[in-house]
Amino acid sequence: MSGDDMNPAAVAQPVKDLQGDDRWMSQHTRFVQECKDAEPDVLFIGDSMIQLMQHYDVWREVFSPLHALNFGIGGDTTCNVLWRLQNGELQNIRPKVVVLWVGTNNHHHTAEEVAGGILSIAQLLTSRLPKAKIVVLGLLPRGERPNPLRQKNAAVNDFLRSWLPRLGQALLLDLSAEFVHSDGTIGPQVMFDFLHLTAAGYRTMAKPLSDLLLHILEETPEEKRASAV
Amino acid sequence: MSAEDPNPAATPTPCEDTQGDGRWISLHNRFVSDSKDKEPDVLFVGDSLIQLMHQFGIWRQLFSPLHALNFGVGGDATQHVLWRLSNGELDNISPKVVVLWVGTNNHGQTAEQICEGIMAIIQVIKNKLPNARTLVLGILPRGKSPNALRERNAKVNKLVQEAVLSLPHASFLNVDPGFVHSNGSISHHDMYDYLHLTPQGYQAVCEPLHAHLKSMLDKPAEN
Ligand SMILES: [Ca+2]
Repeated sequence: MSGDDMNPAAVAQPVKDLQGDDRWMSQHTRFVQECKDAEPDVLFIGDSMIQLMQHYDVWREVFSPLHALNFGIGGDTTCNVLWRLQNGELQNIRPKVVVLWVGTNNHHHTAEEVAGGILSIAQLLTSRLPKAKIVVLGLLPRGERPNPLRQKNAAVNDFLRSWLPRLGQALLLDLSAEFVHSDGTIGPQVMFDFLHLTAAGYRTMAKPLSDLLLHILEETPEEKRASAV
Repeated sequence: MSAEDPNPAATPTPCEDTQGDGRWISLHNRFVSDSKDKEPDVLFVGDSLIQLMHQFGIWRQLFSPLHALNFGVGGDATQHVLWRLSNGELDNISPKVVVLWVGTNNHGQTAEQICEGIMAIIQVIKNKLPNARTLVLGILPRGKSPNALRERNAKVNKLVQEAVLSLPHASFLNVDPGFVHSNGSISHHDMYDYLHLTPQGYQAVCEPLHAHLKSMLDKPAEN
C-alpha cells in the first residue's frame, strides 16, 4: 500500500459545509490569499493540532521567529489537507521546510490508509517543493486511557517510519511517548480534552521540533554554497 | 410542542462516543471528581468557547482569582450540558454564580428549541443550587460573512434575554464587543476559524464579563 488512488484517505476532498456558515472555505481562501504576501521559510499544515499551536505563546516565541506560516484547520483529514494543497495553498510560496501534522481525524480509514494518505501529501509536497524538507509529526495518543484509537495512531506512525525514508526529503518526528504516563493514562495537564494540547503540552514538543527545524534551516544555505562552487 | 414530540435540545443526552476513545465521558468524570475538593465561587459551564478560555492567559489573569472552575467541553450542545449538570457535575459544589455559554453547536435545531434547552439548564441549576444565580452569555455570531447561523444565534439571544427577565435567579449578558465589522465580516484576528476566539477575542469578551461577575459577587443579594 502506498498513496495510490484506491486509498480513500488519499483522495483530495474539500469539507462539505454541513453547518452552513462556510467557515472551512473561508479559512482556505484566507490561506491562499496569505500565500501572495508571505515568504515563509517554514510552513505548518494540518488539523487542529497545528491550528491551536498558533494561539499559544510558544508560537510567537519559538516558531514565528523562524518565518513560519500556519495553515491548520480544525477537524481536517488527510483528504482535506490534500485538497487544500492542490488548490492554491502552495501557490507563490517556497518554504524550506514543511511541518505536516494530520491523520487523527481520519475516523473512517484504517491505519494503513491514513499512513498512505499522509504519504500522498508528502509526495505532493516533494514534487511541488523539490528543495524542501518535509517533517511529518507522528500522531499522538488520545483518550484518557488505552483505547483502539491509540493503537491505530501508533500503527500509523509505524507505517510512516518504514515508508517516509523512501521519499528522501521526508522524515518522521514521533513524540508520542512524551505524553503517556507509566500507568497508561494521559493527563489533562498536557491534553486538556485528552486530544488537544495545553500550553504545557506544546512546550513539551516545541524543543525537539524547533531543534530539528533549526538544524534543517542551518543546513540549507550550506547546501546552496556547496552546489554553487 | 406536544409530549409525544420532545425537544431534543431540552432532553438530557450524553454525547455518543462515536470516535471510540471515550474522551467526552472522561472529561465529565474528571469534572465530577475535580469538584469534590474544590470550593468555587464561580462555575463556567458550556462548550468549546468556555473550554478554550481556560487554556489561555486570560483565565489565570481574570477568573482564577475569582475562584472559578471550568466545565467546558468542545462540541457540546444544550442537551449535553443538561445531561452533565443532571449527572454529578453540580453535586459537590455550591458556586454563587454559574456562567453558562452554550447553544452554537445545536445544529439542526430551531432558535426556539435552543432557547428551551438553555431554560432547561437554568432550571436544573436552580434545582441543584437554589442559592446560585445563572448568568447566560449571549452566543456569538459566526462565519466570516453573514449567514443563517448568525441569524439563528441572534434569535436565540433575543428569546433567552426575554425569558430570563421574569426569573430572579437568572440573567443574560451580551458579551459580543462588536465582532461583526461594518462590512458584515468577522476578522480571524478575533475568531481564528470564524467561530473560536483568539486570545485577543477573549480579551474583548472577558474584561467586561469579569467586571460584571465582580459586581454580582460583591452584591450577592441584589438581582
Ligand atoms: Ca432575571
